Amino acid sequence: MRRILVANRGEVAVRIIRACRELGIETIAIYSEADRSALHVIWADQAVCVGPPPSQQSYLNMQNILAAALAHGAEGIHPGYGYLSENALFAEMCAAHGLVFIGPEARHLELLGDKAQAKAVLREAGVPVIPGSGVIRDHRELSEAADELGYPLVIKSCAGGGGRGMRLVKEPGELLSSFAAARAEALAFFGCDRCYLEKWLTPVRHIEIQLLADHYGRVVHVGERECSLQRRQQKLLEECPSPVVDAGLRARLGAAAVRAAKAVNYRNAGTVEFLVDAAGDYYFLEMNTRLQVEHPVTELVYGVDLVQEQIRLAAGEPLRYAQAELKPRGHAIQCRITAEAVRPGSHPFSGVVERLLVPGGFGVRWDSHLYQGYAISPFYDALLGKLIVWGQTREEAIRRLARALDELVVEGIETSIPFHRAVLRDQRFTSGCFSTDFVEQWLQESEIVG
Amino acid sequence: MDFEQIKELIMLVNSTEITELELAQGGLRIRIRKGLQAQDPTAGPFPGGQDSVGLEAVRAPMVGTFYRSPGPDAPPFVREGDVVVPGQVVCIIEAMKMMNEIETEVGGVVRRILAKDGEPVEYGQMLMLIEPRD
Repeated sequence: MRRILVANRGEVAVRIIRACRELGIETIAIYSEADRSALHVIWADQAVCVGPPPSQQSYLNMQNILAAALAHGAEGIHPGYGYLSENALFAEMCAAHGLVFIGPEARHLELLGDKAQAKAVLREAGVPVIPGSGVIRDHRELSEAADELGYPLVIKSCAGGGGRGMRLVKEPGELLSSFAAARAEALAFFGCDRCYLEKWLTPVRHIEIQLLADHYGRVVHVGERECSLQRRQQKLLEECPSPVVDAGLRARLGAAAVRAAKAVNYRNAGTVEFLVDAAGDYYFLEMNTRLQVEHPVTELVYGVDLVQEQIRLAAGEPLRYAQAELKPRGHAIQCRITAEAVRPGSHPFSGVVERLLVPGGFGVRWDSHLYQGYAISPFYDALLGKLIVWGQTREEAIRRLARALDELVVEGIETSIPFHRAVLRDQRFTSGCFSTDFVEQWLQESEIVG
Repeated sequence: MDFEQIKELIMLVNSTEITELELAQGGLRIRIRKGLQAQDPTAGPFPGGQDSVGLEAVRAPMVGTFYRSPGPDAPPFVREGDVVVPGQVVCIIEAMKMMNEIETEVGGVVRRILAKDGEPVEYGQMLMLIEPRD
């Protein structure tokens, strides 16, 4: 491929442009009227305005994006994450116009995008799944399924993601109202109100396996990522390897993920998410059919540029790695720096970056679209950048991260930097003994302390 | 509608979150747009300096390839100096093999054609400048 259109904005658009430049591939950026002076627009070889500020009319405007790709002679489209990255119709439209969609095929997006369907397929393939119901059609099915599973349980949307259309139900009295709320939210966000029930597993860790698959049936896993540090189902800090995954568990999780991918003849990069309990038992959660926000921690530990591999695989090249060659080296941690203060009841901010000091030095990576004077638009995601560090050991990585966080200065807006600094000092984090409810607990405690 | 009423309308728009208000009453059409300098970067200065004062732009409502004529051998829809009326087709934008006829909202004299035949255009790009006439 010689020319790629990057159908995204923010840090991921910058990330993809960097990969393309190193591969000698020209890039076409797209942007909305609110992003005219964004970094991805400055860095791309060409840039095309595709609509007004609201994403629905610009970054999700399939017709304008495809027209831009065709008018400027792109051969492929990289969708990044979010936006159109898991949109089967868009992948199909790309194919119909002779454009390479850099990701899996439309049928994978369709099959795995439906969470209930994906679970059924993977159960069939022998991958352990969380006990749960099928799609709930009426109140009778709802109460029967809930009685069978027991409480607490969780209601999930078939089209779900990012915690939308999801409700934790602690006791039978909350079931009906929670179900109605989950359905309404799912309908509003995904245009689909199909929901199902799952047993609520706690305490658990959220651990995911990175996969790469070529067009010739070969699949390898690139280790795991620890993503248990979450708030409202949004990941805040990720690491590789997980402090609780040893070589044996890694091999078992990896084999299960590869089996899942092979069961659906998967292609390109993908991630299989698992919940892992204290006993080391694991359950399939969902499969993400795209690049993940937290992909850099894998890149640093395995020495693989996942975005470049995505492009190579989409172009039809065979996998360049055998499973035995993919060995973890050292430890990497990523902080998601967002334009919000992590404290109870806070919301994302917008404003101008008045001062920016970027950390550096050995083992430090800063993936971001920020620059001094950049105006953060209220129209889009609150993610400002990702600070990623590598160290020989987890202890070294934590020390380096603390040093890099001290160097990082973003003035003019409130950010999550103070939260990340505080987490690094928490004994539960440094010891590695934490589960998915850590952040909520931590927030409650810090509120009590004041 | 008199001057006072228009003034009142402007104040009303100013005091709300609304950025654009269009109103038609009898033969009168009023459009009030707010905060364009800060919010709409495509509304930059017209090219051509002094000449452009008082000209209205026809902007691309979509991304695609700009064509001045309906076919390779056909004459252009408009030439510089032509008089156009509101709703008249002035060019085509081809997007995904679909030919989209672009109409002018304003009537008047076509002063400048800015986009080049057969070249890609982006959303909001100025295609031509028209000097409005009643």
